[in-house]
Amino acid sequence: MSLSRRKFLKSSAAASAAAAIGMSVPAELEASASAAESGWRWDKAACRFCGTGCGIMMATKNGKIVAVKGDPAAPVNRGLNCIKGYFNAKIMYGADRLTKPLLRMNDKGEFDKKGQFGEISWQRAFDEMEKNIRKALKASGPEGVAVFASGQYTVMEGYAAQKMMKAGFRSNAIDPNARHCMASAVVGFYQTFGIDEPSGCYDDIELTDTVVSWGSNMAEMHPILWSRVTDRKLSDPERVKVINMSTYRHRTSDLADIEIIFSPNTDLAMWNYIAREIVYNNPDAIDWDFLKKNIIFAASPVNMGYGMRRAGEKSITPVRPDGSAGNYSAKEMQTINHEMEHIVSAKEAPALEPYGYKEGDKMVNKPAGLKHWEISFEEYKKFLEPYTLDYVARIAKGDPDEPLEQFKEKLQTLADLYIEKGRKVVSFWTMGMNQHTRGTWVNTLSYNVHFMLNKQALPGSGAFSLTGQPSACGTAREVGTFCHRLPADMMVKNPKHRKIAENRWKIPEGTLNPVGNQHIMKIHRDIEDGVVKFAWVNVCNAYQDSASAKHWIKAARNMDNFIVTSDGYPGISAMVSDLVLPSAMIYEKWGAYGNAERRTQHWRQQVLPVGDAMSDTWQWVELSKRFTVKDVWGPYTLRNGVKLADVRKAAHEMGYTDDTTMYEILYANKEAKSYKIDMNAFPQKGYDNSECNGDSRNVVGSDGKVFKGYGFMIHEYLFEEYASFGRGHGHDLAPFTTYHKVRGLKWPVVDGKETQWRFNVKYDPYAAKAVAKSGNGSTHAFYGKLAKALTQGDLMGITDKNKKPLTDKAKIFARPYMDPPEMPDAEYDTWLCTGRVLEHWHSGTMTMRVPELFRAVPEALCYMNPKTAAEKGLKQGDLCWVESRRGKVKAHVETRGRNRPPRGLVFVPWFDEKVFINKVCLDATCPMSKQTDYKKCAVKIYKA
Amino acid sequence: MKVINKITLGLVAATLLFVGCNENAAPAKSEVVKPTISEDSLGLRKTSLYDENVKPHGTKYSDSYAGSGHKIERAFQDAPPMIPHDVTGLIPIKIGDNQCLNCHLPDVAKDMGATPIPPSHFTNFRPQSSYAIKGENTSSESLAHISIEKEKHLVGARFNCTQCHAPQDTGVLAVPNTFEPDYIDPDGASKSRWNGDRMLEGLNTAESGK
Repeated sequence: MSLSRRKFLKSSAAASAAAAIGMSVPAELEASASAAESGWRWDKAACRFCGTGCGIMMATKNGKIVAVKGDPAAPVNRGLNCIKGYFNAKIMYGADRLTKPLLRMNDKGEFDKKGQFGEISWQRAFDEMEKNIRKALKASGPEGVAVFASGQYTVMEGYAAQKMMKAGFRSNAIDPNARHCMASAVVGFYQTFGIDEPSGCYDDIELTDTVVSWGSNMAEMHPILWSRVTDRKLSDPERVKVINMSTYRHRTSDLADIEIIFSPNTDLAMWNYIAREIVYNNPDAIDWDFLKKNIIFAASPVNMGYGMRRAGEKSITPVRPDGSAGNYSAKEMQTINHEMEHIVSAKEAPALEPYGYKEGDKMVNKPAGLKHWEISFEEYKKFLEPYTLDYVARIAKGDPDEPLEQFKEKLQTLADLYIEKGRKVVSFWTMGMNQHTRGTWVNTLSYNVHFMLNKQALPGSGAFSLTGQPSACGTAREVGTFCHRLPADMMVKNPKHRKIAENRWKIPEGTLNPVGNQHIMKIHRDIEDGVVKFAWVNVCNAYQDSASAKHWIKAARNMDNFIVTSDGYPGISAMVSDLVLPSAMIYEKWGAYGNAERRTQHWRQQVLPVGDAMSDTWQWVELSKRFTVKDVWGPYTLRNGVKLADVRKAAHEMGYTDDTTMYEILYANKEAKSYKIDMNAFPQKGYDNSECNGDSRNVVGSDGKVFKGYGFMIHEYLFEEYASFGRGHGHDLAPFTTYHKVRGLKWPVVDGKETQWRFNVKYDPYAAKAVAKSGNGSTHAFYGKLAKALTQGDLMGITDKNKKPLTDKAKIFARPYMDPPEMPDAEYDTWLCTGRVLEHWHSGTMTMRVPELFRAVPEALCYMNPKTAAEKGLKQGDLCWVESRRGKVKAHVETRGRNRPPRGLVFVPWFDEKVFINKVCLDATCPMSKQTDYKKCAVKIYKA
Repeated sequence: MKVINKITLGLVAATLLFVGCNENAAPAKSEVVKPTISEDSLGLRKTSLYDENVKPHGTKYSDSYAGSGHKIERAFQDAPPMIPHDVTGLIPIKIGDNQCLNCHLPDVAKDMGATPIPPSHFTNFRPQSSYAIKGENTSSESLAHISIEKEKHLVGARFNCTQCHAPQDTGVLAVPNTFEPDYIDPDGASKSRWNGDRMLEGLNTAESGK
């Protein structure tokens, strides 16, 4: 049987072994040895790296990984990985793995913040953590205990951490690095749809005619998705159009039909230009039937600042005559002062005119939260009026050497492609639109265009937010490992949601803290302000990945606090910590990740951890043994005056005593123990399980005794308890064991079937149910529940405080172009953008230890235009300083590399410890999402 | 029943242990440790975090010209090989301009002294998306929709060569790596044999489950 005759081989999972055997070696191919004969064990797993969520096949032999291949059965990547994906094989084998806990100490072995590190036992490590958490709780209450969490936690780790923090310590100061990567997308989803995560799925790529990448270098950052785009483009080069929108040329441009190089932040203006083209010049393209049934229009305040520190905060007090303030220099304050007030520039004035501002006006900023209200279509139309081709082209053209007329033509073509009847369009974005001081705004603007054209939540059409991290969706967002969230899109501030979580977690009502405002930058700032006294870095590198890094490092090292980092390798966070804990890495534990198309994927423990390393789940569970009801469930008053009730009495009524540990309540309860160890059955059979059974290393645990395992299937328990929050609420997940049989499933999984296009009646059972109920006959139902009743008003504000419900509807927002708070000027004359490169993941702790990846890109280069280099007296390979108001770094100049910026902009990636670019970057955030804008600040470049 | 009893007993014992431990939270007396590890010795930077006068690594890729015959061993069986030659002027890869193919397509590779693109790159594993067009649910059930189609041309998904293959710096590594390859073919370090049956090997990871 020739291969070509077997296009589709349909078989049940059970029959697949036979099917596989049936696929014999084609005659024309050479015979080769069999892995089975060589003693390899293959198993499926998920890639450790980006949010694409590729499936890999992993071979182990004698307890070590020996090979990785792309999984032909994985729908995401079908037998192909990118360079990082293949080298998952090596990520756990860097020679400097952390193998023992390390504590800063003096010569007597006592903790000493100024001391060097010495090896200690797990028992001692937990003693120190316990002591310092007690100290922090005493000094600052629950707000004094914080966790830098992660979009790279497994689902179970994130859930375990969240339970101990929120239910145990009653602290909401747990916020992931996903805040830095996805928060603007999330608030965009909440405000637009009332529920998080994308409508579409990756199948859109094979079904679309047009791919527009908005500020996303998919070719490097989502290489496998880009391989799918490439395949689609090559399959029909005339019909399929690829447009790359970016502030500099990069590999995504190499495949594009049109490249639009724009000035930083003007994506806002370009989205509104396309919307204006629809509303003013192509009104027939608007699907009014769809809009009337499914959409309302909305507006929100514009004077909301830039998410920086505000006047009065401890660390920027007092303000001195020279302009410096507290811990911040006069130069730093030049930028921070924009947080309080801002002079409207010529660039933004036309866009702000409908809001009553003109050039030179002083805009007084105040925190606006997430407030928004309904407006009429006429108001929205009025808002769009300024975004003519002339205005937008003038402010958006990002390459000073490109003729304006050429840029205008490209913008017009872009709009025409979106509008063209019958043309399917997918808009992709990631960090460019998310890491943005108006990130929430620009996310919502993307849906505007797709909604008006009825090109959203349809096969092959939709605005599609790609995620950065492997489980930013699965763990950070779905589990709710954010300061303000609970599982399944529930919020800590909502009393009903807290009650649901309290009941599910079997903790007294009133235990959960209703104030969730310690997002990741706030945690750093709270450490600098002396409020947070204990911080634990989990599965991230908070001291390398945060902008304005010098401040946070200084606060960690010089103030009275205790910083702990759990990691596989020592990175910058470990360097600044007081205690460093050795963590099991990804394939050394059971786990699950959720990718950007809502696909949940599980894997089994492939090998034992190195040294005494143990998983983050284990570390949380062991910590929980140190705290009892009487330790953590007494009364507290938060700094804003909110009181947390004493729930100890209520705990007694539930059968707990003062001495019942959080371990017994949160992790080793009766329900947990119902998940049995069964080493004779799938999926546990034949696989290590260090948390449940202990393992042959006989690691001495937190009590000074050899750890023998919890004796129940804690991974399954944590997953199933977490999943129970979402089942029946639009977040349905399949049972634990199912995921071990399949290559992931896209939630909601209803009646065993995954969902490809949410909100679409044809594909999403929840949408079908909603339309059956409403009887409006719509093709769609945007059934998310958040912010689904609004006051009424116009662009200037609310005029009618009565809330009108908008059940099953989504929103189109009026949100203008505005400048970022720091732009190039005479002294700092160049834009700085930071980000990743294909071969390295985030701060490089794993990928810099893989020889092939290190050698591919061994250093962070300063990518610049040859003309910029010449202007600065620099040439290829020279060393230059990149200096902002906050700090400087030295890097080699690259004028002919993969990134080719226009004059006036440089790109320096952040993976390299030796080129610590986050000392230069600015910690301004979107004021709504609190996500840092890493993509723009002002620097000067000069020869080193 | 027996198992359950054992587990319960274990838990009771564990509970007793940590209760005991809580009462004696002081550091174990037997521990005598000296602080010998400096902050700067951790990580890859190997110098103070508080001063940015740090010399970056510096990149020096091989200057062997394409066709010089120099090869880099595959990292493990069927791993993507790294690029052993200078790529100046050969990239970027664009539609209609993929210079890698000039030497690496199988029918010319031998004459050019280049590693031939292996059969896996002429194999399409992605089922057509007619499921989606028809509105059927493309179930992700394990192995249910494996498709293997041999193609005459390089599969589009593998057009971006630099997605997996990269030139290599010739300088010193930041940290050694202890991974050990296990080549199952005698020529595993130089040749991919990921084709035929091997493509499907090990895919049914749920054999014991039902």
